[in-house]
Amino acid sequence: MAVIEKVPVPRPMKFILNWGRRYSLWVMNFGLACCAIEFIAVSDPKHDFIRLGVIPFAHGPRQADLLVVAGTVTDKMAPALKRVYEQMPDPKYVISFGSCSNCGGPYWDSYSVTKGVDQFIPVDVYVPGCPPRPEALLHGIIRLQEKIAKEDIGEKWSGQLSTPSANP
Amino acid sequence: MASSRHPLPIPEVGDRLRAQFGEDVSDAQDQHGHAVVTVTVERYRELITMLRDDPAFGCDYFEFLTAVDLPESNALDVIVHLHSTSIGSNVRVKVRLPRDTPRIPTISDLYAGANWQEREAWELFGVVFEGHPHLVKLVLPEPFEGNPLRKDFVLMSREAKVWPGEVEGEEVEEE
Repeated sequence: MAVIEKVPVPRPMKFILNWGRRYSLWVMNFGLACCAIEFIAVSDPKHDFIRLGVIPFAHGPRQADLLVVAGTVTDKMAPALKRVYEQMPDPKYVISFGSCSNCGGPYWDSYSVTKGVDQFIPVDVYVPGCPPRPEALLHGIIRLQEKIAKEDIGEKWSGQLSTPSANP
Repeated sequence: MASSRHPLPIPEVGDRLRAQFGEDVSDAQDQHGHAVVTVTVERYRELITMLRDDPAFGCDYFEFLTAVDLPESNALDVIVHLHSTSIGSNVRVKVRLPRDTPRIPTISDLYAGANWQEREAWELFGVVFEGHPHLVKLVLPEPFEGNPLRKDFVLMSREAKVWPGEVEGEEVEEE
């Protein structure tokens, strides 16, 4: 058992750790449909999420902190997405980008589309829209950073936060 | 090259096929400039081979293979579209199959591109392609059961919540 689980983390330390974590989110783009184009628009010089500390693009899931699921996840693709999520090192965060990955979106009655990625991976922030505007993803990233800032590292390490709540 | 890009007139496509296949093939219909013929399942492969090898048709390019579910007439149509890159002809071949036991010979040895399209038609419509080298699921996950593009396939989400939009054709009836 680590010391961190016995002793409450001092607030200045917690602040510095969370501050470092929220402004260096290496992002993994799991782009599956038109939402992926909006995601690329966020990474371009006009919207530019590097100014928020989101760094495109991680060389692979093992180097990534943030997974953005952008697009329509099918039941056939779901095991691959689960595998990518499991390859990412802790601490890791997930943004569900667009109606399809939130709940199935326009394919709510389809025989093949997964009705929400939160059925098999924990999602931190949902960004609604079909597809959402780039500004919506910037807003979602800011909400995620606010959530990371409030995180208690002791709780996170002890596994109490292993499935973070969806509400920031 | 430009002078040779004159496909056969559509009635002549029908006449030539009629001369070879007699009553087993229908007259060629003109649908948006494409010749559409219906053939019996017994002579389907023979017809496709002729369209490919006869220089008058010169269909060297396989466009697509699909199926249409017709529950009202208890039938299932398999549709093959062939194109000629040299003379520009477009021929669409339809085969009507019984809905309960749809069996049709494969053409994946004539056109390699038909291989995956036949697999897709097999998993989505349940059409069995006899002689296909590798008839396994292509786009559906392995545990999936049923043929989702058949019209009697039950969508679980729609069982829970009725389709909120208008049913196709309803708008036309109101007028």
